[in-house]
Amino acid sequence: MPGTDLTAPEEFDIHAAYLHILEDTEISPPLAAILALSELVVNSKAGTMFELVQALNDGAEQLKQQTTNSISLNAGCELFIAFVTLFPHESDSFSGLKTELINQGRKYAAEALSYRERIARLTLGFIKDDSVILTHSYSRVVMRALLHAHKTKRISVYVTEARPRGLGLKTHAALTAAGIPCTVVLDSAVAYVMDQVDFILVGSEAVVESGGLINAVGSNQMAIIAKAAHKPFYALAESYKFHRLFPLSQYDLPTHTPTILSFPPLLGQSVAARDTLSGVSIGAPAAPEQETLSLEKASGVSAQRTMTSEQIAQNPDVDYTRPDLISLVFSDVGILTPEGVSQYLVGMFAG
Amino acid sequence: MAPPPSLPVQPPNGPESRPPVKAQKEMSKAERRELQEKQRAVKAAAKAGGSSSQPNQKAAAKQAPPPLTSNAMPKKGGKLADTAPPRTPAAPSGRNTRDVKSATAALAENVPMNARGLRIFSHFGLPKPVSLAKGDIHPVILRLALQFSNFKITGANARCIATLTAFKTVIQDYITPPNNTLSRHLMTHLSPQISHLVAARPMSVTMGNAIRQLKLEISGTDIDLPEQDAKKALCQKIDNYIRDRIMVADQVIEETTGNKIKDGDVILTYARSSVVEKVLLGAHSEGRQFSVIVVDSRPMLEGKRLLSVLAEADIHCSYLLLPALGSVITEASMVLVGAHSIHSNGSVYSRAGTALVAMLAKQQSIPVIVCCETYKFSEGVQLDSFTKNELAPLGDTFASFPLTKPRDTLTLVNSPNLEILNPLYDLTPPTSISAVVTEVGVIPPNSIGSIPLALGRLL
Repeated sequence: MPGTDLTAPEEFDIHAAYLHILEDTEISPPLAAILALSELVVNSKAGTMFELVQALNDGAEQLKQQTTNSISLNAGCELFIAFVTLFPHESDSFSGLKTELINQGRKYAAEALSYRERIARLTLGFIKDDSVILTHSYSRVVMRALLHAHKTKRISVYVTEARPRGLGLKTHAALTAAGIPCTVVLDSAVAYVMDQVDFILVGSEAVVESGGLINAVGSNQMAIIAKAAHKPFYALAESYKFHRLFPLSQYDLPTHTPTILSFPPLLGQSVAARDTLSGVSIGAPAAPEQETLSLEKASGVSAQRTMTSEQIAQNPDVDYTRPDLISLVFSDVGILTPEGVSQYLVGMFAG
Repeated sequence: MAPPPSLPVQPPNGPESRPPVKAQKEMSKAERRELQEKQRAVKAAAKAGGSSSQPNQKAAAKQAPPPLTSNAMPKKGGKLADTAPPRTPAAPSGRNTRDVKSATAALAENVPMNARGLRIFSHFGLPKPVSLAKGDIHPVILRLALQFSNFKITGANARCIATLTAFKTVIQDYITPPNNTLSRHLMTHLSPQISHLVAARPMSVTMGNAIRQLKLEISGTDIDLPEQDAKKALCQKIDNYIRDRIMVADQVIEETTGNKIKDGDVILTYARSSVVEKVLLGAHSEGRQFSVIVVDSRPMLEGKRLLSVLAEADIHCSYLLLPALGSVITEASMVLVGAHSIHSNGSVYSRAGTALVAMLAKQQSIPVIVCCETYKFSEGVQLDSFTKNELAPLGDTFASFPLTKPRDTLTLVNSPNLEILNPLYDLTPPTSISAVVTEVGVIPPNSIGSIPLALGRLL
């Protein structure tokens, strides 16, 4: 998939550059996008600002199309393009300007790697000795915050399994290796454990204009249960994850497609050769009989107790947590309320 | 600003009564009240006798149709609050009901029934028909005032654009008197015109913001500029204001909101907002498939106009009145409403009934989107619909659209013991609103207060 922007005849492949940058595990998708776009500036043959911005927009578009979950990537792209557009044109030559942009991009990315440390320090103030913390899936910024807190305080952590990717187990392994008592909790047992928890810390894919949070699926559930149990719900997000998106509901997310959690068309009430065990098909009352029947049939399909990959593909990857469920957003620009996020974004992008 | 009107100064004892036997302090409370009542009765009889020589605002206010031929136009200040003192008559009937009852009992034949006054909205009273203008009012402004008072021009945007266009004419026709500068005198020239408009109908927030901006531009005019150039520059600035803050803003809002409309959506809207109309027409022309539910309410029935425009454009519409909203609300996937003004705490001041629609929708987890340009932003904080509102005049304010019942049955008139109350606006709390779409982006309601700061602009 070579890049087809007319300003780069040697066909700079932005997607390949992006993937290459992502190999460094410390770099998150938005930062990788920023760096990839800086690479594009390096390789660009644009002669004017207008052409350059166009090339950047094209590059960003390509990146978005070739990634499944593009929200956080989008945040990074928009940030960089806004930065380029608003950059004061001090240098005389255009190539001087380009060099300046590239340097700024790289400098930003280098500094952005220190954001997690800053957020970890801010979070420390909210962690008391003997805190029991609940977290979701695997987040680098939450890991950094927990490890930072562990140096000076006693904490114990519950982490959800976070199906289907199961990244919660990665968190568990990392925390246990660091000496923090950690237990994996079933996604369905979050309500069970909520009363024992002091507060919840989650990372984020993006923080949106409404002040809401986009994160791995299960975060919204956790936030609702936390609200019902009156526990604080804190989101940790670096400032490059702030996005101008404003979802009106779960189904207004760019990642939502009509096939997600849709009902399949009925192919007649056949018993054979269809996995009928989990959720999404022909009516519930018929299910128990069909279960035993399928078990007896066992035609190559083992007694399934887990979802098939097609069924998993029909489920969402990320969900949207409303701002009224979030207590605070910890970011490198400070500790913000969900309303404060919007003020920051308006200030950044509207001026 | 022109000096406030002078009320007829009458000695406290009324024009015809004798001076009291004792000084008032020495009288007992009951005696004093008795005296007061007597004086009121006498005064009211004198007025009801048709003494039109004294411009008396209270009489004009209390006697709804027919208007007095005397000067019934007070010079209100720019704010509604200023109407409170002149409105409070020398004999405050709205306050002490017992006195009022006895007064009206005494004058039942002479004074029309609403001498009692409105109990709950008495602080902004009833609008009065505009009659003779005081001072030198430009014919364009006269015409506009009549259009306002007859509700021929309604809607925050329409009124503001009409006002600014009228002011352009006034400015063009203006000649600086000798020994005066345009930047200083033009404002004093415009003030009576503005007051006349405000007398016709209380000023909207949009008009207020626009006029404030205009005053700023006028005072910033270069003194050395020749008059014609200065006038041309001012008219250009007015055009720019209309273009940037209203027209272009509407285009941006149209595009942003249009992106939120998906195929298959059912959009519910209330009454008629010019911005929402543009959004729906724009989205339809882009090829999005959606249907609209128009909710309307009496007496203005503005939704009929929106309905005809949408139906003309081949958009699938349903029409119902506000009381029926509960049965269709679950069908809606999105609620789009306009605003008269938006306040820094995020509450939206809009046509009466909007709050009901928003609250009901929020309960059903239906997103409520308010489309509002930034020039409608009002610095104050409003907490309820009572402190600032406007009453619609009685009579026939319908659009000229087909009605389901004969016109005379729908027309509102007062009758004995029945006072018609028609507030035009209400306040939607920020908790019932999901998002506000402005030309600077989609903003959650609680962050509205930060917009002027972020933009560094005088709004």
